[in-house]
Amino acid sequence: MSEQVAAPPRPAAPEPRRGRRFDADWIRRNGVYVALVVLLAINVVITDNFVSEGTLRLQLIQVTPVLIVALGMALVIGTEGIDLSVGAVMAIAAALIPLYIGYGTAVAIGMAVLAGGISGALAGTLVGRIGVQPIIATLGIMVAGRGLANLFGGEIKSIRDPGIVALGSESLLGVPYVVLIAAAVAASVWFLVRRSTFGRELVAIGGNKRAAELAGLPVRRVLTTTYVICGLLAALAGVLLAARSQASDPTKVGLLVELSAITAVVIGGTPLSGGQVRIAGTIAGALLMQLITATLIFHDIPDSTAQIAQAVIVVAAVYVQLGRRKAKS
Amino acid sequence: MNRATSPRHWRILASSAVVLGLALTGCTNPGEQDQAAAPSGDGGGDGQVVKESSGEDCTLEDYGAEKLDLANAVVGFSQSEPDTAAFRAAETKSIREAADAAGVERLLVTNANNELPKQIADIQNMLSQGAEFLIVAPVNSDGLDPALDAAKQKGVPVLTIDRKVTNTHCEDYVAFLGSDFYEQGRRAADAMNEATGGEAKVAILLGSSGNNVTDDRNSGFKEQVAAEYPGLEIVAEQTANFARDEGQSVAEQLLQSNPDITAIYAHNDEMALGAVTAVQAAGKQPGTDVKIVSIDGTRNAVQAIVDGNINAVIESNPRFGPLAFETAEKFFAGEAIPEDVIIEDDEYNQDNAEAELGNAF
Repeated sequence: MSEQVAAPPRPAAPEPRRGRRFDADWIRRNGVYVALVVLLAINVVITDNFVSEGTLRLQLIQVTPVLIVALGMALVIGTEGIDLSVGAVMAIAAALIPLYIGYGTAVAIGMAVLAGGISGALAGTLVGRIGVQPIIATLGIMVAGRGLANLFGGEIKSIRDPGIVALGSESLLGVPYVVLIAAAVAASVWFLVRRSTFGRELVAIGGNKRAAELAGLPVRRVLTTTYVICGLLAALAGVLLAARSQASDPTKVGLLVELSAITAVVIGGTPLSGGQVRIAGTIAGALLMQLITATLIFHDIPDSTAQIAQAVIVVAAVYVQLGRRKAKS
Repeated sequence: MNRATSPRHWRILASSAVVLGLALTGCTNPGEQDQAAAPSGDGGGDGQVVKESSGEDCTLEDYGAEKLDLANAVVGFSQSEPDTAAFRAAETKSIREAADAAGVERLLVTNANNELPKQIADIQNMLSQGAEFLIVAPVNSDGLDPALDAAKQKGVPVLTIDRKVTNTHCEDYVAFLGSDFYEQGRRAADAMNEATGGEAKVAILLGSSGNNVTDDRNSGFKEQVAAEYPGLEIVAEQTANFARDEGQSVAEQLLQSNPDITAIYAHNDEMALGAVTAVQAAGKQPGTDVKIVSIDGTRNAVQAIVDGNINAVIESNPRFGPLAFETAEKFFAGEAIPEDVIIEDDEYNQDNAEAELGNAF
């Protein structure tokens, strides 16, 4: 035991900004913003009708489900975990809306979000208290959850409840509700990570779990809570997606969203090795992915080519990250 | 250190699982939700009519199978995709009802969840459970060989529905019953011409890539447009994977970057319904400002025609049950069965949608 205590802990929190050097570290921290600005500039030049309120607004609306899931995922990855169940949780949440809509809009949304919290508690208990590997625990929930969603949802259902429809399609002072909700979630998660004890504990556990335990941090509670937050956010994303499409399709809602979310987090500069959470980077990462998709659609690139293009961009982003870690070590 | 096995934690785990179950199933109500595909009951649902048969004939003797009385037989049905899709739900239901009507001793039903390996295992399992006749909705045209070989070894005839396999006719399978997806695409082009008056900028919402339904519905449409309708200009074609929310997102992007799109052709009803929402979100009137034509014939889409949001839907009739069992009875009675039995699909448009709504699935 004593040897382990003596072992030097890995850096537990983002180290203070050192230089103004244009090195690999700078690229990793800021590459996603540069890529976003470059892609925006390219679109301004080559895409018809790109510079319009409608186009930009549409990207913000469409990015919301992935963004909200990615923010929860960033927290989980910060603990050196991963949550593969987010897509299935979205599907469960979307499937519960038509089931409970008879009790009113608020009850239906409440049940959907509650289901996400319960699923998150299950994942958190498996990971935090029983010690199951995150990828295994959440893989199990992903498979079972999709089945559960099909069970609840049955066939594709249309949702005509005026409250849900308004949530998905209306605006407050010109800003769509879904965008306002995503912004509120981003601000809350930022506050949680940067300004709360919980956030500091989370980052410390992700940096070195053993050291955090020995330092007396409430490791199990923090881990469980992190997965609960991730589950709640995934369910919220499912609700917003259902509200926007005014339908719930349990086999297709949230399919592969876990990959999009992980990609957004990673290209946003959060290392998969935990100990850091980058909220602004995650937002930029999600926006970059959305803009890539939109650009490929704007220019009517065939699906096969589009998939390859996306893969190249993602691999390039991850390569930049690897380069940085090598440079550091 | 051994906290992993503390009973308290298992209790937390178990109780959260129970709570999940209770919370989600305990007190649901029928509510006022809209059902995508209301149970069609006896009133709804038109049976399939054979349009044309082609290819070489196959008899019981050619196939090398033994005579079978379906009334005392074990029949297996291997469904390809989850029954959450209205088409699959209607197809499975139709097979079940027809099996009841034929009085089979036992009907085994499996669902491959769109996975080829699972379908092979499903078919092998049904064979070991004593299936004497198999109806298969293949997940894919290629790759079912191990399952078809196993059936051949046991002398169990296989009838494929809705997707044709590339294996040898009258050796690996008896016949193919299905729609002509290419023809559906051509008819969608005709319907589009009708809806737009022959002048339009058309965006296409494609089904999943690498899928023969997508390919046929697309080439049928485009070739008919090229041959007959020079006024229909195809300005974009993007995949939306047969899903409603993707149909919506992709249509939103296309309408934004290309505001003069005046028509959308969707390879299935779900994407068309997504496009309806997208057109509305763009501040335009679906069915009027942007004409929409799709393929399938689900209840929601036909209702959308009645509401004026979709212009026309080419039917792809999923009710294979009666025709499948009728074909099987003929086959076991010694009649020759042609390789391809292509069914007649209807069309829903503004003239007949209200009257025909009951036939939608």
